[in-house]
Amino acid sequence: MTHFPGKLLLSATRWMVRIAPLILFGLVWHLVCSAQLVNKDFLPSPLAVAAAFVDLFSSGEIATNLTITLFRAAVGLLLGAGCGVWIGVMMARSRHFREYVTPIVGGTYSLPKSALIPLFALWFGIGNLTAIAAVFLACLLPMVVNTYHGVLTTPKVLVWSAEALGTRERELWPRVFIRNALPDIFTGLRIALGFSFVLAISAEMIASTNGIGKLIFMYGENGTYDYMFAAICCVVIVAFFSDRALLVVTRRVLVWHESGAFERERRRP
Amino acid sequence: MLDLDRPKIEIRGVSKTYASERGPVLALRGTDLTVNEGEFVSIVGPSGCGKSTLLYVVGGFLAADGDVIIDGSAVKGPGTDRGVVFQEYALFPWLTVHDNIRYGLERQRVAASERDKIVDRLVNVIGLSGFENRYPRELSGGMKQRVAIARTLACDPAILLLDEPFGALDAQTREIMQDELLRIWLETRKTVLLVTHDVTEAVYLSNRICVMSARPGQIIEEFVVALDRSCSREELVISEPFNSIRNKVWLSARRQALAAGKQE
Amino acid sequence: MSQLDLRASPFAWRSVVSVLCFVAFWEIAARSHVAPAILLPPFSIVAEQLWYSTFDGTLAADLSLSLGRAICGLILATVGGVILGLLMARNRAIEWLADPLVALGFPSPKIAFLPIFILWFGIESVSKILLVAFACIFPVIIGTFSAARAVSQLFIWSALSLGSGRLSLFLHVILPACYPRIFTTFRIAVPVALITTFTAEMVAGGGGMGGTLIYSQRFFESPTVFAYIVVMLVIGLMLDSAVRRFQHRFLRWAEE
Repeated sequence: MTHFPGKLLLSATRWMVRIAPLILFGLVWHLVCSAQLVNKDFLPSPLAVAAAFVDLFSSGEIATNLTITLFRAAVGLLLGAGCGVWIGVMMARSRHFREYVTPIVGGTYSLPKSALIPLFALWFGIGNLTAIAAVFLACLLPMVVNTYHGVLTTPKVLVWSAEALGTRERELWPRVFIRNALPDIFTGLRIALGFSFVLAISAEMIASTNGIGKLIFMYGENGTYDYMFAAICCVVIVAFFSDRALLVVTRRVLVWHESGAFERERRRP
Repeated sequence: MLDLDRPKIEIRGVSKTYASERGPVLALRGTDLTVNEGEFVSIVGPSGCGKSTLLYVVGGFLAADGDVIIDGSAVKGPGTDRGVVFQEYALFPWLTVHDNIRYGLERQRVAASERDKIVDRLVNVIGLSGFENRYPRELSGGMKQRVAIARTLACDPAILLLDEPFGALDAQTREIMQDELLRIWLETRKTVLLVTHDVTEAVYLSNRICVMSARPGQIIEEFVVALDRSCSREELVISEPFNSIRNKVWLSARRQALAAGKQE
Repeated sequence: MSQLDLRASPFAWRSVVSVLCFVAFWEIAARSHVAPAILLPPFSIVAEQLWYSTFDGTLAADLSLSLGRAICGLILATVGGVILGLLMARNRAIEWLADPLVALGFPSPKIAFLPIFILWFGIESVSKILLVAFACIFPVIIGTFSAARAVSQLFIWSALSLGSGRLSLFLHVILPACYPRIFTTFRIAVPVALITTFTAEMVAGGGGMGGTLIYSQRFFESPTVFAYIVVMLVIGLMLDSAVRRFQHRFLRWAEE
């Protein structure tokens, strides 16, 4: 227990070394602005952006809009992921289903989902449903593909062992196939999470009256660039931390997976 | 209805064809084999000769032409009467050691208290007390195979089917595991069918060895192994009777291996 | 993204039936006025519109503009990403510098940066090309970096014992070992490039497929909306198929 403060200090130091380049980046940004190398309008100084950031938070403007965006992304993600897993499992279970569904699923792969936003705007108007529909479709495919792959690559000796130990046909699905597919499912979920943000924000920029995508766009049009930069920073931070949160959950759920498999997926050596 | 004269496993005229990229492949051709209750039979042969296929057919994982009769009735699919241990261990990676061993007992709806007793006993038998809550990824190859064997034994199957169970282990671990297996068999006297390419292992463990021909596989020769296993491993392996049988079996297997080589 | 190839299965009549049913259903639903024609124009009308657009050149102009932007951005991202990834793998200082930026950039929705690019580079092609490059560079960097790092020591040792110099080691061992991974990330980047281009055009105008698409939506010209979506679909399919064939031709040795 005497090691504890030492360990904490060590990991705090390591963490600071890792984010040091960001501070460097901030300093360079500040220098560029104060030396007036660039027109002030094009690049607000980091201090101005920080001030705008604080202002947005205190006025609640970011909070309201962010909540709207996150709501749209989350609903689309959950629906898309749920349906995606189901479709993926069904595709693995039934050859007929797979043959019927493949061209539709494969087709949506090539279609940039944001291209459907104007169509959805036509059908559902400007608002939540358009954004949610776009997010839903975007999240569907990675989940289908990854679930299908995960189920398909179940080693047959695992299935045979389960059968020899008395597992009934029906039970094989929840007990063996889906469990085996979990790592792939979580990989797909990570991709889908990224998509959910992209589509939610795209939908807001194209066809919405609220949400953080719209906010960013609006600030741009009004010329209040420091607020625009602040809102963009906010988005980056939220996206980063939600990705991290997913990784933490993944590592918990997949504690049994080959050690380092999800460490290796991350970029850090 | 226990008919003590009837063999435990009867394999009659079993043939198996696989579809492959280059057309159908005949893996087994008219294989016959009889195994009596309590026997330890090894099948040796060149790789690709179909010995694993035969094991899978007996296990009910693969359908084939011909008859596989166990205790008088035909095999229709996998069953808890035939426990199986694979070379790749096939442990459920998402379950701990304890849960893996418990798995079959849960499927059989064994009462919880009874279940825990059996699992605890087996964990001790395989010498892994203290590792119950580890996941397979944290175990060495030998440990994993021990868990696999324990998992199979938990359901107390009358027949054990082992497909090159020690093939993935290093030589030292292999010898230790062989002793374990022999001990378990001497204690429980289950009917065992072992597939291996290691002739020495076959001679050490079994009381009958079947040599399979190159593909398409058929049982070409059989050897009865009547050794006095009461002495230690060291004494046994050096002894003359052991080596005499081993040489005979090895020559037979080698002939088949060379024939298989010519096939390629 | 998984290596699973949904289109590699042999000709399955069920799949064809599925597509035909879809089209038939669409036509019937539209014709029977389940929804107003504005919301669901019949397939035949959409096809007709597609025909017109192709003929009067608007489709070709839009398509070439969008594709041009996407491809430029993609090339920029690939070249830049590979170079950066390799540099990061070779040099610890560069890796330290780039790591938090890449870590922050990778999960963030790059489309959120569009207004910055418009501010700096205007609404014409330059801003879009750069945004596409920005969006696609992250997976390339990460893929290249991890591939370069993962080159088996055994390859390197073998090459060294066969007399390979440092440059040769790099060009003939490390780089080729990275090709499959680089190519995979390139394949992932292709749809990202298309999506980013179309979205940027939809948000900011400046012509191209996205520009016409949003314009048609605003004026309720739904046959054009549908027609353009179909074209985007087909283009996406064709590009992916082309990339896959290229991979099959040149990277056979790495195929699973």
